[in-house]
Amino acid sequence: MDFENMNPVKNPKESRSNGLSYQQLLDTDSREVPDVLRMQSSRDLPFVRVPIDRYTSQAFHDLEFEKIWKKVWQFACREEQIPEVGDHQIYDIGKLSILIVRGQDAIIRAFHNTCLHRGRALKDRPGRSLQLQCPFHGWTWNLDGSLKQIPCRWDFDHVKNEKTSLTEIKVGTWGGFVFINPDPNAEAFEDYIGDLPSHFERWPLEERYIAAHVGRIMECNWKVAQEGFMEAYHVASTHPQMLSAIGDANSQYDAWDHFSRAITANMTPSPHLRKKPSEQEQLDAMMGVSLDGKPSMTVPEQRTARQTLGQLSRMQLQGLVPSVQDLSDAELSDSIYYTLFPNFHPWGAYNRITYRFRPLGNSPNQSLMEVFYLAPFRGKRPDPHPFQLLNAHASWTEAPQLGSLAKVFDQDTLNMAAVQKGLHAAGHQEVTFSQYQETKIRHFHSLLDQYVKS
Amino acid sequence: MKLRHALSQAIYIDQEDGTVLVEDPNLGEGVFRINGEWIRGKLRDADPHMLLFVGGPKLAKPNHSRTSSPNPKARCLPLGSNSNAPGSRSHMELGLEGKRVLITAASRGIGQATAQCFADHGCSVALCARGEKQLEIASQNLKERGVQVFSQSLDVSNGDALKNFISEAGEALGGLDVYVANASAGAGPGEEAWQANFDIDVMGAVRGVEASLPFLADSETASVVFIGSTAAVEFLGAPQAYNAMKAALIAHASDLSQSLAPRGIRVNVVSPGPVFFEGGNWEMIKQTMPQVYERALAQCAIGRMGTPDEVARTVVFLASPAASLITGANLVADGGFTKRTSF
Repeated sequence: MDFENMNPVKNPKESRSNGLSYQQLLDTDSREVPDVLRMQSSRDLPFVRVPIDRYTSQAFHDLEFEKIWKKVWQFACREEQIPEVGDHQIYDIGKLSILIVRGQDAIIRAFHNTCLHRGRALKDRPGRSLQLQCPFHGWTWNLDGSLKQIPCRWDFDHVKNEKTSLTEIKVGTWGGFVFINPDPNAEAFEDYIGDLPSHFERWPLEERYIAAHVGRIMECNWKVAQEGFMEAYHVASTHPQMLSAIGDANSQYDAWDHFSRAITANMTPSPHLRKKPSEQEQLDAMMGVSLDGKPSMTVPEQRTARQTLGQLSRMQLQGLVPSVQDLSDAELSDSIYYTLFPNFHPWGAYNRITYRFRPLGNSPNQSLMEVFYLAPFRGKRPDPHPFQLLNAHASWTEAPQLGSLAKVFDQDTLNMAAVQKGLHAAGHQEVTFSQYQETKIRHFHSLLDQYVKS
Repeated sequence: MKLRHALSQAIYIDQEDGTVLVEDPNLGEGVFRINGEWIRGKLRDADPHMLLFVGGPKLAKPNHSRTSSPNPKARCLPLGSNSNAPGSRSHMELGLEGKRVLITAASRGIGQATAQCFADHGCSVALCARGEKQLEIASQNLKERGVQVFSQSLDVSNGDALKNFISEAGEALGGLDVYVANASAGAGPGEEAWQANFDIDVMGAVRGVEASLPFLADSETASVVFIGSTAAVEFLGAPQAYNAMKAALIAHASDLSQSLAPRGIRVNVVSPGPVFFEGGNWEMIKQTMPQVYERALAQCAIGRMGTPDEVARTVVFLASPAASLITGANLVADGGFTKRTSF
């Protein structure tokens, strides 16, 4: 693999779209905007080109498994999915299967999901049990991984109890998410996520519950799938119905150590449009109103569509979120989408979305995309909405819990298998990324490069 | 759905047969399948993302019609099923397929029967009830009908819990087309009953409409049904809070029907007479006060009390797009129990 061939950006002069910058838009907010939205990174990133075989070759896929998935902190499950003693979830990544268990002491631990006898997976599915018993011969461990019992103990004189604990895997938690790292020598989780928690201080994700969790098998490399959700550059061509109400080309992109961020303003017209839509047209576009349909809401006089949506969102969040009247229009309207390397995409403010992408099985050509809606709640935490898995030919609208966004996901999905097909069919060697709008993807590839070379 | 492509200015319109008509101001018209396949017209190429967005929801309808219910006997009869003989020109479609319905107190009796009837007509259903166990059974029963179900255990007198449930249900089902206020404190003596009937029968309906309004406003066929009672329209043995509060509910429905009509939302009441079912009030009355039961039975012109299914079908019809002209009505379904003439 010729990594030297990846051209760094020669001219660091920043390319930006015409039209209002995101920071200028924030100046028009009806509330004070939090500092975190005022932050801008100043990082020069290499890699405007990467080799196509990063997406298509089995060799690179295998390298990723060794250098990324076995080495990196990754989101395994939500704490709310294992609230009680003995609750367990399974996180499969490539060839690895990891069991995440809530112990008697309420501590969350993770183990290789493998029996130390003859290697059967200990658990086939998530559930609750007060011990971890292999279904094959009945070897049994306590929830803390210590050996509890071996049937016919007399026959295993050579097996020492103290050396037969389940192989533990490092665990870290943030925002109600449980992360694991299969590498026993991994750096501390807190060091890895860095300043990310401070970005979410105003929007605590631990105080949300899973209102929807839908996965879909994608006939493409996991990076092809996730890179479709890391920029707003595709909006004009893939979601043209949104253009009246989305500041796609004037999004802001930032990158820090292991995480990056994009902010795309909603309820502001796209710079692509020749004629500026009226405030009402912007609101209608956001609400998906048909040309011959009646508007579901009216923009009051002297108000903008952005302020109207902000006000509506404040009403909806009233009682669910503290100090809702102080939330800025930006926090209530915009798409603020973070990415923690390699595959975890929590959204900021109150947009509810979190994505996760990962390879499925051992193929560079198939992946699993998951959508979580993390919703605020009042009173007792509602149970997580059950996971729904859609097959590779399903429409996202088969999961009605996703609401109107399902159709937008379908539009994104329409590209995925076609990209994979095109990459395999390519007569050239590299894909190329934009200078600014694809910042997050370039940041991702620079980290990917560091890891695979390490 | 009809949308304009913001860049090409072409207009995309979905058609009854599942195709999409594209009118490009420069290149002419074309008809396409959602997958982009060209069918006819001068225009030979269209944007696949727009085709999918405009024509897509047809793919998304619940697969109700393709799967049969695991327990056919439990299905309630579709209305108008007698009139679909070949050549019949007046076969009535309720038009409920794919609609999203929320019903309070739907784990037993009229509420449960109504939820099942909606599900049998292809609706996704959100339901609540106080008792978790019975609610779980009712939801499972609905799920077996192959529709999306959202349920939550709560006390309708708790306004915050109710509103919260409705907004979560609306999110989960992707909107709401029908709200049915069915929860009732029932008939009882004393000042406590006044408070309970006010909190549950009246405020459950008032708050429910308020909370479902954002969703109903987005629906093409929104409607609200309150469950009233014939006790509100004719004297029923004794002065009771239940009777007066149901009367308040009917008056409020009438007001709402006027104020919400411009927003395309119909509001009606179904007032059942005596309804007999296992574990219901009239079964209890039959055992504890047989004379009262006999007297009521004698008053039913059709010679029997109603069943939950019969009330359910009335509610489902009124709530359905088939009843598009009816709003502000109090539809009495009592088998001739009341004797007044309603002009």
